[in-house]
Amino acid sequence: MIWIEARKGEEIMLEIKNAGKVYEGKIAHRALTDVSLKVENGEFVGIMGPSGSGKTTLLNMISTIDQPTSGEIVIDGERPHQLKKQKLAEFRRQSLGFVFQEFNLLPTLTIEENIVLPLTLDGTKVREMETRALAIARKLGIEDILNKRITEVSGGQAQRAAIARAMIHEPRLLLADEPTGNLDSKSSKDVMEMLETMNKEEGATTLLVTHDPQAASYCDRVVFIRDGKLYSEIHKGEKRQPFFQQIMDTLSFLGGEHDDLSSVRHS
Amino acid sequence: MTFRQFVIRNVFRNRRLYAAYFLSSMFTVMVFFTFANFAFHPVFYDGSINSNALRGMGVAGGLIYVFSFFFVLYSMSVFLQSRKKEFGVLMIHGMSTRQIRSMVFLENLLIGVVATMLGIGLGLLFSKAVLLIAENVLIISESLSFYMPWNAVAVTFLSFTLLFFFISLFVAFLLRTKKLTSLIKSDQSSKGEPKASKLLVAFSVLLLTIGYGLALTAEGLDVIRFFLPVAILVTIGTYFLFTQLNVFLVHRLKKRKTLYWKKTNMILLSDLAFRMKDNARAFFMVAIISTVAFSAIGSLYGAQSYLTKGLIQANPYDFTYNPVGEEAADKRKVEKVSGALEEEGVEYQTERVTMSAYNGILPEESVWIIPDSLYNTLASMTDSQKVEVGQREAVVIYGNLLQINTVNQSRGLMEEEIPLVSGETISPSSSVTSNVLPGVTDYYVVSEETYESLPEPETSTTQYVWQVESSGDEVVEVGLELAESFPPGSLTAIDAVLYQINKSYGPVLFIGLFIGIVFFLSAGSFLYFRLYTDFEEDRKKFSAIRKMGLTDKEMNRVVTKQTGLLFFAPIIVALVHGAVALSALSSFFDYNLVQEAAYVLGGFAVIQVVYFVVARTLYTRQLVRQLSR
Repeated sequence: MIWIEARKGEEIMLEIKNAGKVYEGKIAHRALTDVSLKVENGEFVGIMGPSGSGKTTLLNMISTIDQPTSGEIVIDGERPHQLKKQKLAEFRRQSLGFVFQEFNLLPTLTIEENIVLPLTLDGTKVREMETRALAIARKLGIEDILNKRITEVSGGQAQRAAIARAMIHEPRLLLADEPTGNLDSKSSKDVMEMLETMNKEEGATTLLVTHDPQAASYCDRVVFIRDGKLYSEIHKGEKRQPFFQQIMDTLSFLGGEHDDLSSVRHS
Repeated sequence: MTFRQFVIRNVFRNRRLYAAYFLSSMFTVMVFFTFANFAFHPVFYDGSINSNALRGMGVAGGLIYVFSFFFVLYSMSVFLQSRKKEFGVLMIHGMSTRQIRSMVFLENLLIGVVATMLGIGLGLLFSKAVLLIAENVLIISESLSFYMPWNAVAVTFLSFTLLFFFISLFVAFLLRTKKLTSLIKSDQSSKGEPKASKLLVAFSVLLLTIGYGLALTAEGLDVIRFFLPVAILVTIGTYFLFTQLNVFLVHRLKKRKTLYWKKTNMILLSDLAFRMKDNARAFFMVAIISTVAFSAIGSLYGAQSYLTKGLIQANPYDFTYNPVGEEAADKRKVEKVSGALEEEGVEYQTERVTMSAYNGILPEESVWIIPDSLYNTLASMTDSQKVEVGQREAVVIYGNLLQINTVNQSRGLMEEEIPLVSGETISPSSSVTSNVLPGVTDYYVVSEETYESLPEPETSTTQYVWQVESSGDEVVEVGLELAESFPPGSLTAIDAVLYQINKSYGPVLFIGLFIGIVFFLSAGSFLYFRLYTDFEEDRKKFSAIRKMGLTDKEMNRVVTKQTGLLFFAPIIVALVHGAVALSALSSFFDYNLVQEAAYVLGGFAVIQVVYFVVARTLYTRQLVRQLSR
């Protein structure tokens, strides 16, 4: 495939150096304190933590939607936060891929049109868009529903379409924010397997924020944060099942409210 | 918290949601009040304005009221449409349909009453400005002083309280609360993409073609006879144009992938296809309302211009004394005109015009002939081109009057010969079109020498003409004064005549203009309303794509195109309709209305552009603010 050899460049895909975030306001709120994290090229990293721990803030900063108030973030050797607004949007469009809990697919477009949207914005040739869309749709098993609309497909199919959209432009970094949050367990499993496939076969460096221990168990490594600080991290061994158990144990140590572990997050 | 408190707080704390509806209600009240304020002005009731004009104003007021009713009704239904989800949430929490209705009724009444009061207040602030404009358009000798219009306040307040009461009742009663699930999900565009029927597309094209064809080919009285059928054909055609043809065209565009899949086109077109059905009705209404406004103002302006231009052409001199019947020119009357002008210190030129008519050129009629010296003197007075006539030739002069198509009706003077006393004949060498001699359609100009050797004329008349250096109010005064002391029809003081025409035509023009502008501005608010109905959808859409890397510039571009289509699609159709209507009017008058049509339509187009720029800027700003939160 085209996007395998594209992954050269830096060994470290993402480096977060002492990042901190303070929300100014009537009451200043420290959301993140001195977070440092390195993600290697091709790695599949999960970020877990109770509600309000700063997961989303961290992801927003990596996805360049938000700015850190201290420290810096380097993605594949580039410092996106120093870019101008216009360049930043282009960087997001070309270097990052997003998968969201609520899919964020456009209801007026067909699945295929949704998938090619990032390429469309970049002015790619129609023929190339079609070939790439078909190729990635085959990989994700959604080639039969390319001409359907979002309202006509299941949640799992919609999320797979979202993954296809996030991957079609071969981003350097795939960011997934609670991708299984709105899905039933069967679809969750499907989606996680797809993300795993993308990671293993296409070498897509993936960062996954989740509440769902089952989903997190697909990662190579899970980082836990609590109260805006890194708490601990665990690596997957050979098998997924013991890793899942390990995650559960850490979560109980982490001691968030029990509710936080449910797979539905209200955003 | 009582139920009533809940309703009131719900309105005040959701200001932004209610703002558009509130503002358009207030705007409607303000328009009506301004008109009432004008119509109830005491100056009109001292008997100086004729009763027809007053009746006209009454009808116009009624028209504005009826229109307000539909406008408020439409605004309200669009507003309620956007709140379905809220109703769903309230119903989940146990609110009964009855309670929802009573809530809608109460909040509408609240909005209505507040809008009425604020509308009257704003109207009062603007009333001085409107009265000033009216004064100038109307040519009222007394000034329309500012007054405390208790009548207008009372009438407006009562009519609109009543209007809002009935609309609130009506809407609350008609409010259908569908299944809860469909209310809750109402913000998802689960409805399929609208489809166009090829048959109806063809039907629309056919209706418009026939309508336009009839309007453009009709001549004379046919224009009036065809008016109603053409209006009906075009109205139906326009409806299908927006509901079918638009959808059809967008589908066509979407099929061309190289275009559809290019940059931001996909976001634009896919939305357009979905919104087209919703937009279609708004487009249709706006197009028809604007067409009415354009045609009404265009016709009034055209008719006025036709009337005044015709008069000016038929009377090229400021004063013309033309003794009636057999009465010989009265020297004293001639001196009276000159004297009156001198008294006012007006500089002028005057000329005695003696024309003679000769037989023997045309079989049945006599033909006027004047010497070139006279013609050239008059030509210099009226800034027309002089003629050079050789010894043995004549020049044919065709009058160029708007009302009469002279070229077709000319009696063929170019082919005739003028017999002299000596038996010789003179042939015309060329022809000129001018209005130098008032009231004569075609005649000969010959050289002084030839003129001397013409036979005895059949008849002779003498007129006196005066041309002032610069006409102003004093010339009008002189004209008005002199007209009284001359036998009717003998003295034409064109400045005074025009003044009187404008004075009696003023109210009609003002009312027409006022209503036209009201319609047009309301059409604009329709569109603005329509734009904001889709705000939430747009916000969601752009927030999703922005995360993927849509730049603000690209977003602006999409919004601009989207808004541009909304604002210009119906107006362009209305402009074309208006142009066709005015061209039909033009062929009815047999008078070229291109300039007038260009002014009216161009003026509206400019207002629309301003409207578009303002709406787009506000919309984008709000969108960006919401997105960067």
